[in-house]
Amino acid sequence: MKNLAGDFQSVYNQYAVLVYNVALNYVQNIEDAEEITQDVFVQVYNSLENFAEKSSLKTWIYRIAINKSLDFIKYKNSKKRFFIFGNKSQNEKEYENVSNFEHPGILLENKEKAAVLYATINELTTNQQTAFILSKIDGLGNVEISEIMQLSVSSVESLVFRAKAALQEKLSKKFEEHRKKK
Amino acid sequence: MEKENWINEILESANGIAKATPNASLFAKIQGKIREHEIVSSKWIWLAAASLTLLFLLNAKVVFGGKHKTEASAVESLATSLSNNNQLY
Repeated sequence: MKNLAGDFQSVYNQYAVLVYNVALNYVQNIEDAEEITQDVFVQVYNSLENFAEKSSLKTWIYRIAINKSLDFIKYKNSKKRFFIFGNKSQNEKEYENVSNFEHPGILLENKEKAAVLYATINELTTNQQTAFILSKIDGLGNVEISEIMQLSVSSVESLVFRAKAALQEKLSKKFEEHRKKK
Repeated sequence: MEKENWINEILESANGIAKATPNASLFAKIQGKIREHEIVSSKWIWLAAASLTLLFLLNAKVVFGGKHKTEASAVESLATSLSNNNQLY
């Protein structure tokens, strides 16, 4: 890539919303999603020149965004364990309240239900979580998901199916709590 | 039935979700971070160069300092052997 700065600006313009929304779906916190988006684009800038074009730019950026989001969650969780006896920062307190997160793009009447959905998605295994987010929230097809996750299409289908089954099971338990509250 | 309806409503609550837009200042923040990275990386290069020079100097000191010691000890052992052979009494 000859004009790296110019290329980077156009890559940012094209993919910033995608990266930000992927991060938001994982961390469910606006500040954290912005931090992840920054890290993703710093890596994109540093690696853009060496991008091998083995996959499409979109797939490559998706992979970076997913990996950065998962790394961020791991880092936050390890920090939470480390400071379990110490005072919590404001940001950590926010992170604990992810189940109350209100996605800015969700219709007002669905906000409460979507918060329950996001809290339940967080309880899935990492692969099921990724497959479900990409398929049901981002609306990608199984072929594209298989390229991003570097799995076969049948594995993706199975992951999405198991994620949905696991969500139904977990929500079924949550329903009892929901009814008691009512 | 009520349970199934509730579960379905939850699962479908994210349907038609609109994409959220990041803050307009985010690109400037990213550019700042990139510059920061570049400064840090040049700092690391200088630190690595300084470490290598120090390592080289320490090695040179050990090698050449050791050579002087070897020469000194050779003279000492010669002197000892001479004094052993030329017993005065």
